[in-house]
Amino acid sequence: MCGGTIMMNWRSRLAEPRSLFLAPAGLFLVALFLVPLAILLYYTFLQRGAYGGVLPAFTLENWQRLVDPLYAGILYRTSLVALVSTLICLLLGFPLALFIARAERHRNLYLHLVMLPFWTSFLVRTYAWMFLLRDTGLVNTVLQATGIIKEPLPLLYNYGAVVLGLVYGYLPFMVLPLYATLERIDKSLLDAAADLGAKPLQTLWRVTLPLSAPGIAAGCVLVFIACLGAYLTPDLLGGGKTILAGTLIQNQFTNARDWPFGAALSLSMMALVVGMLYAGIGRRKERLL
Amino acid sequence: MKTRLLPLYAAAVYLFLHLPMLVLAVFSLNSSRFTVWEGISLKWYRAALADQQLMEATSNSLAIAFAATLISTTVGTLCAYGLWRRHSGWISGSLVLSLVTPEIVMGIALLALFQWVFRNLGAHLGMHTVILAHVSFCIAYVVVVVLARLRTFDRSLEEAALDLGASEWQAFLRVTLPSLYPAVGAAALLAFTLSFDDYVITSLVSGVDSETLPMVLYAMARRGGNPEVNAISTLIVFGLGVLILASERLQTR
Amino acid sequence: MNRRLFLMGVAGAAGCSPARRGPRLNVFNWSNYVAEETIPRFERESGVHVRYGVFESNEEMLARVLSGNSGWDVVFPSHYYIQPMIENGLLLPLEHGSLPHLNALEPRFRNAPWDPTLQYCVPYMWGASGILYSPKLSPAPKAWADLWDDRLRGRLTMLDDPAEVLGACLKKLGHSLNATEEPVLRQAQAEAIRQKPLIQAYLNAEVRDQMVAGDVLASQLWATTAQQAIDEAEQLRFVYPSEGFAVYADCAVILRESRRIELAHRFIDYLLRPEVAAEIVKESRTATANGAALQLLPPEISHLPALYPDAETLSRGEWFATMPAEAQRLRDRIWTEIKSA
Repeated sequence: MCGGTIMMNWRSRLAEPRSLFLAPAGLFLVALFLVPLAILLYYTFLQRGAYGGVLPAFTLENWQRLVDPLYAGILYRTSLVALVSTLICLLLGFPLALFIARAERHRNLYLHLVMLPFWTSFLVRTYAWMFLLRDTGLVNTVLQATGIIKEPLPLLYNYGAVVLGLVYGYLPFMVLPLYATLERIDKSLLDAAADLGAKPLQTLWRVTLPLSAPGIAAGCVLVFIACLGAYLTPDLLGGGKTILAGTLIQNQFTNARDWPFGAALSLSMMALVVGMLYAGIGRRKERLL
Repeated sequence: MKTRLLPLYAAAVYLFLHLPMLVLAVFSLNSSRFTVWEGISLKWYRAALADQQLMEATSNSLAIAFAATLISTTVGTLCAYGLWRRHSGWISGSLVLSLVTPEIVMGIALLALFQWVFRNLGAHLGMHTVILAHVSFCIAYVVVVVLARLRTFDRSLEEAALDLGASEWQAFLRVTLPSLYPAVGAAALLAFTLSFDDYVITSLVSGVDSETLPMVLYAMARRGGNPEVNAISTLIVFGLGVLILASERLQTR
Repeated sequence: MNRRLFLMGVAGAAGCSPARRGPRLNVFNWSNYVAEETIPRFERESGVHVRYGVFESNEEMLARVLSGNSGWDVVFPSHYYIQPMIENGLLLPLEHGSLPHLNALEPRFRNAPWDPTLQYCVPYMWGASGILYSPKLSPAPKAWADLWDDRLRGRLTMLDDPAEVLGACLKKLGHSLNATEEPVLRQAQAEAIRQKPLIQAYLNAEVRDQMVAGDVLASQLWATTAQQAIDEAEQLRFVYPSEGFAVYADCAVILRESRRIELAHRFIDYLLRPEVAAEIVKESRTATANGAALQLLPPEISHLPALYPDAETLSRGEWFATMPAEAQRLRDRIWTEIKSA
């Protein structure tokens, strides 16, 4: 396939440029992704080193340990949180992407304004949210000062705060792909719909939305997956009171010093997600990638 | 009605996005170390700018982000185009897998690879390994964004170009690519942000000399309430914001 | 497109700072363990440029150093990591001849339990974990058991660290911090789960802000972090629990891979100098292992109750021990179960 065409002489190579387009990416993927993953897969069959790292001794126990209701429960909770966050992200992000796509001028400016906060450390921003949401934080202080509430609201260290943090943290992942598709939509189609008597909301529902389906799919998948693997945001905003998949895996590589088990955990989670993706999206003709 | 609601809504979302930044900016002027307001002071800005480690880390981050963005956007756009023309199972699969991999896993896997390779070469981790690592995880995002846009592209335009005698490469460069610019721009922006803001993978594969801004900020913030962090964050946002506005002015002229 | 090229140029120019020539030393330490002038003065005296890197957790440091090719010369692991590092062949035996100031150390560190002859490490800073609390709490907490009191509901935090939380539970039950038997650990787990409804969050140094602001009334916290909070809000108090508490020490070691052995020794000896150590303590408000330095300091620093408790209190402390692999796995499993409860 790919390798075979590169062997041909340059003339025929130009005649089959697809391989040229794919070759650089292919090279990077193999060297910097697939090979490291293979190493990790190899690790899952090794024993953990006493203090981190691995020992060259074969074992199946890492895989055997996976079969445990504790981990299934963690995965379930994580998926639920990720799903809710993704949906809220979509609801918040779609109108924003629409606004940017429809703006006649300054589109780049608006896009950059979306990304601007993300050029500072996300940890710092998370701490800022903690400051805003905690009992003596800004939100509660303002609400109490204006007399709306008497006692501070428990805004922090719960699932609500986690969802807020995730939505906040991954909004660009949703907005950018959405924008990329919405921007491309032919204005004349919208005009035609209006000419045929459709109200703006109807046009949105029946013309814009279906046309932006690839963007919606891309955005949702990116955000969902990011939420599944997130560990810092849920840990800090959730107060460390519950353990989600990202933290569990993170722990294996740090506190627990059990790299092989961490590798097994993450590889199986990845396999599950990929399976879900192909089951859900693969059935349609349009693939994600 | 919709036309007035949408800008208002957008403004509200922007406020939501920038609220933490406003908090940081306000507290960067706080003369106290902690979040109890004590008075206005510029001392944290002075401290941040005098902090050599911070400045060096910032320039490292910028250099890495630009290099990684350039490479991953180029490679990713080409790849998206190639995939759009004809599907490639293993590349698509690898890209999806790359998206699904948690950062810590990527980081450890890359560290294992680099350590194994470098032991035999006698080399060290450094800026180059960080850039390679960043490219590795950015490619998939670039491909997703550009491909989503390509899916709405009319193939017949390219075919018309081919009929008129252009080679495949020319058709790509002259017909498809120009209309892809917004998507490529958006993808580059995403890649830059991912690279500039990355902590987990970078901290694992960076060497002695390649400390990045997220690493420094992370360490400072984890220690608790170092307002230099607020100052430098506000500076970055402000600085980049000014750059963006300036380039916007240049473009619309 | 032009804009991008321009910005790239700027970044490129910024990134190409001139490489420092001349001899170099790479030091990897915890944050906030040196004073502002410490490194520059050493650089001036020795004519060497020091690359001073900072880490926040032992695991982070170990992941980099484990390869044996990390580039660092002097590293500061916590004491319970010294033995594993020795076993992995990572450490260089020290030349005491090049460390004339070794005797500045306090006697109890001169014969450190984890390395009695100081063959591989030089204790640098030590610390412990206890309870930081607001004076609003009356009666004041005196023991770990007081943190299970219902009056603290929603205003209590514990450290987000399995060794520390399990340690507190084990001490409350009257066991050793370093217990490895399953029934004992399961008892500790039950205690932790019992406490969980009272806890607002599991937080590390982040809780400092909230204690100062008054959100949280009591927290399990490290002494050095607690001292920083007290510096900011003098009404806060720190207590070493009566059932016992965890103690640790961060020590300087030289990595076997280092090619600047003599320079590394010079640096460690520099840090051992009483006046240098005293300056560090004054600025960073940490607890030094350097007895001679303490004598140079005014009593309001060398007798800070949070950082330098009296001998009687100190005797209740217990050093963390290195966990064998099986026990580590069990503890991690228990921690996951506690978090999922």
